[in-house]
Amino acid sequence: MIDRVLEMEKGQRVRTVKNVTVNEFFLPGHFPGEPIVPGVMTLEGMVQSALVLVNESYSRGKVASTLEKVARLKFKRPVVPGDQLEFQVQLTSRGDHALKFKGKALVGGETAAEADFILKISIREVGFEL
Amino acid sequence: MMENREIQEILPHRYPFLLIDRILEIEPGKKGVGLKNLTGDEWFFKDHSFYPPNLLLESLAQVGGVVLGAKAREENPQATVQGLFAGVSDFQFQRYPVMGEQIRLKVEVIQSLASIYKFSAEAFVGEEKIAGGQILLSFARIAP
Repeated sequence: MIDRVLEMEKGQRVRTVKNVTVNEFFLPGHFPGEPIVPGVMTLEGMVQSALVLVNESYSRGKVASTLEKVARLKFKRPVVPGDQLEFQVQLTSRGDHALKFKGKALVGGETAAEADFILKISIREVGFEL
Repeated sequence: MMENREIQEILPHRYPFLLIDRILEIEPGKKGVGLKNLTGDEWFFKDHSFYPPNLLLESLAQVGGVVLGAKAREENPQATVQGLFAGVSDFQFQRYPVMGEQIRLKVEVIQSLASIYKFSAEAFVGEEKIAGGQILLSFARIAP
């Protein structure tokens, strides 16, 4: 769900972009004749942006992170083919094994979705610390 | 401007071969500007790192199909029509577009003879022209 990283401040925030086209596997069924991006895919874009930020910030490949919790998720407008989604994701707090994020999805400067979510972190290599 | 659902009312194309997302400008029967977004999970990116040039031609042809189809629909909403790609001439690719880019597809009818329409067709990314030439569509109204 990400085509490009526009900007990144390691350990802080990231801005990415995803083009929405009708030529994607989830749109024929959602919905026939009326393509609208499923809200969960927009969430996926925010989560993937956070994963990029984590991997680039904390030594690539040494940490594994998975989505643990979605504390809040709000959809404000539908996203359709031709739209360009910009994801803005910010790391808001850091615990031992969890990272909290605030994410936003925008289309042409207008907010399409907002989310607060938590990624669970596990260390893949022994002796490596965050 | 025309959203994708309305494009699907005019073109019979569907996933995985509907290769335009939005119509930005249109003068039915004359000219139009379409938009194709390129994103990483499209099927052709499995084998290519760029938008294949034959598919870029198809995208331009589909905008042409909307231009002609919109005109036919204005004249008779019940009409059944069939548009087919009839040919290409003098078409030059400056570079291939890649994922994350938005392609503007500009077509204009420059000649028509019976059911054959010749378009000038150009593709842009931002202000940069990446390809251009002429394409031919055959477009026929079928009874009633």
